[in-house]
Amino acid sequence: MLQIQNLHAEIDGKEILKGLSLTVNAGEVHAIMGPNGAGKSTLGYVLGGRPGYEVTEGSVTFAGADLLDLDPDARAAAGLFLGFQYPVEIPGVSNVQFLREALNSQRRARDEAPLSGAEFLKLARAQADGLGMNLDMLKRPVNVGFSGGEKKRNEMVQMGILNPSLAILDETDSGLDIDALRIVGDGINRIMRAPDKAVILITHYQRLLDYVQPDFVHVLADGRIVRSGGPELAHELEREGYGAVAA
Amino acid sequence: MAILPSNRDESWRWADLATLTTAAQTLKGDAVTAADWWLNLPGARLVFVDGVYDAAASDPRDAVLTTLALDTAHPLGVQASGAAGWSIDLSAAQIAEPVQIVHVATGAENHLPAQITLDEDAVAQVVETYVGTGWTNRLTQIDLERGARLMRAIRLVQSGGFVSIRDEAVVGEAASLVTQFLGAGAMGSRIDAALTLDGDSAFVDYGGALLTLAEQRQECAVAVRHQALNGSSRQTWRAVAADRSQASLAARVEVARGAQKTDGEQSLRGLLLNRTATVNLKPELEIFADDVKCAHGATVGELDRRALFYLQSRGVPEPRAKALLTRAFVADALERIGTDIVREAFMADADTWLDAAL
Repeated sequence: MLQIQNLHAEIDGKEILKGLSLTVNAGEVHAIMGPNGAGKSTLGYVLGGRPGYEVTEGSVTFAGADLLDLDPDARAAAGLFLGFQYPVEIPGVSNVQFLREALNSQRRARDEAPLSGAEFLKLARAQADGLGMNLDMLKRPVNVGFSGGEKKRNEMVQMGILNPSLAILDETDSGLDIDALRIVGDGINRIMRAPDKAVILITHYQRLLDYVQPDFVHVLADGRIVRSGGPELAHELEREGYGAVAA
Repeated sequence: MAILPSNRDESWRWADLATLTTAAQTLKGDAVTAADWWLNLPGARLVFVDGVYDAAASDPRDAVLTTLALDTAHPLGVQASGAAGWSIDLSAAQIAEPVQIVHVATGAENHLPAQITLDEDAVAQVVETYVGTGWTNRLTQIDLERGARLMRAIRLVQSGGFVSIRDEAVVGEAASLVTQFLGAGAMGSRIDAALTLDGDSAFVDYGGALLTLAEQRQECAVAVRHQALNGSSRQTWRAVAADRSQASLAARVEVARGAQKTDGEQSLRGLLLNRTATVNLKPELEIFADDVKCAHGATVGELDRRALFYLQSRGVPEPRAKALLTRAFVADALERIGTDIVREAFMADADTWLDAAL
C-alpha cells in the first residue's frame, strides 16, 4: 500500500530525513518510535504534503500512485489521513461544517455522491459517540476550547468520518490520560483494523501499543530507520532505551 | 462641487478623494432596479434615485420625507444638510416595523440628509443598501432618549464610484445604538462617525467589514465618546484586502473625566490576501477617567498557514480552504447583526465577494 524508498527531506535547508525506506502493506499496523529530533513528525508532514518541507531525493508510492506529486487535498482523497501531534484551532469554522466540507470534497474527487446534511450528521454522531464526544462539541469551532486530550479524540472522530485507507498518527497518545488512551486505542482498532487498511503509529512511548498491537516496530534515529522488528522490539526499547538499541 | 478636505489633513490621509472627485464628475445614467435588493421583512420601503425620493417605488409608513437643515461641521456631511431627506421620529415606547432603504445612484453626485429621533424606550430597525455608481454622500443624525434602541445594518454595494457616510449620534441613558456595515462593492468609501454616550449605562456597538480588491480604497474613521458613567462601547472592524487595494480602519475611544466604569472595547483586524495589498490600522484611546476598562487589539496578517494545511490535509482544496477561513474572519463582524434574514443576506454578499476575490 505504501512504499517509501530512500526518502531524503529537508526544512529550512536542514536535512531531517536521510534515506528513509519503509514498506507498509494493507492490513498491517506499524509503529515508528525514536528519540526527539529523529524525524518522526517530519515523516508525517512530508507524507501529508505540508509546505516548507522539501523532498530532495527518493520516492513514495501510495496505492500505486506517486504520492509526492499530489496536493495535500488530493492525498486525502486518495485515502491518506494524518493525525496531527498538535491539532490546529480554527475559530469561526465549526467542526461539523469543516468535516462535511472535507468529506464531500473527497467524495467529489473520487466521483462519489456527496452526503446530505442529515446523512452527514448521522455519520458524525455515530463517530462522536464511539469516541465519547457529544455532538454539541462538534458544533463548536474546530478544536477551540478543547483540552489536549479532547483535540486528540477529535482527530479520531475526523478519522472515523473520513474513513481513510492509511492513517499516519503522529504522537496521538501524547496528552492522554489512562481513560482517554483506552478510548483512542479502541477507536483506532475499530476504525482502522481491516484487511484493506493500514496504520502507522508514530510514538515515543510503549503505552499506546498496549491497546493497538503493532505488527512491526521500527526505530527511527537520525533521519533513517535503523532497526525493525516485531512487537517485542517496543518492550526492548522501554527496557534499554533508544541509545542502546539504535547503536 | 463644494470644497473637499485635503489628504494632507491627518484625519483624511487615507481617504480616496481622487475617486470621489472622479465619481462626482461622471454623468447620470440608467438606474438599476431597487426592487432586487429588498429583504423579506415587513415594514417601510424607501427608494432614492440620485438622492431624490421615488414615491412610486416606495411605501414610507412611519418614515417622513422632509427637508432637513442639520447642523454639522463635517466637510462632507454639511453638503447634505438643507436638502430633502427622510426622518424617523418615534414617540415613547413606540416599536416601529423595520425600515428598508435602497439608494440607487446613477452618476454625478447626490447628497441626502436623514434624522432618526427615538423617544424613551422606542425601538427602530433600519436596513440600507447602496447600489449603482457616482458619488453618494450621506449625513445621518441620531438622537436616542432613555431606553431607546436603534439597530442599523448598512451595505455598500455600489459597482463603482464612491460612498461617503457621516453618522452623528447622541445615545441617552440605557439607550442602545447598534450599527454594522458591509463594504462589498467596487466603490471607494469612507464611513465617518461621531457617537456620544451621554447617558448613564448607554451602549454603542458600531463596526463592520470592509472588503477591497483591485485598486479600491475603503475606510472607516469612527470616534466614540464616553461622557457618562457605566457606558459600554464595542468597535469591531474587519478588513480584507486583495490585489493592490487598501482598507483603512481608524477607531477612537474617548473617555471623559467623569465617565467612570466605562467599558470601551476595540478590535481592528486586517487580512491581506496578497502581499501587494495594504491595510492601515489606527486605534486611538484618550482616557481621562481612572476606573475604566478599555480592551483594544489591532493586527494585520495573512491567512494562518497551519490552519490552511490542516483543512487541506482533510481533503478541502486550497481555494475553498482560503474561502472558509476568510469567511470566518469576516463573520466576526457581521455575526453582530441581530436579525437572521439581514445577517444571512449580508453574509451572502460577503460570499459573493469572496468567490470573486479568491
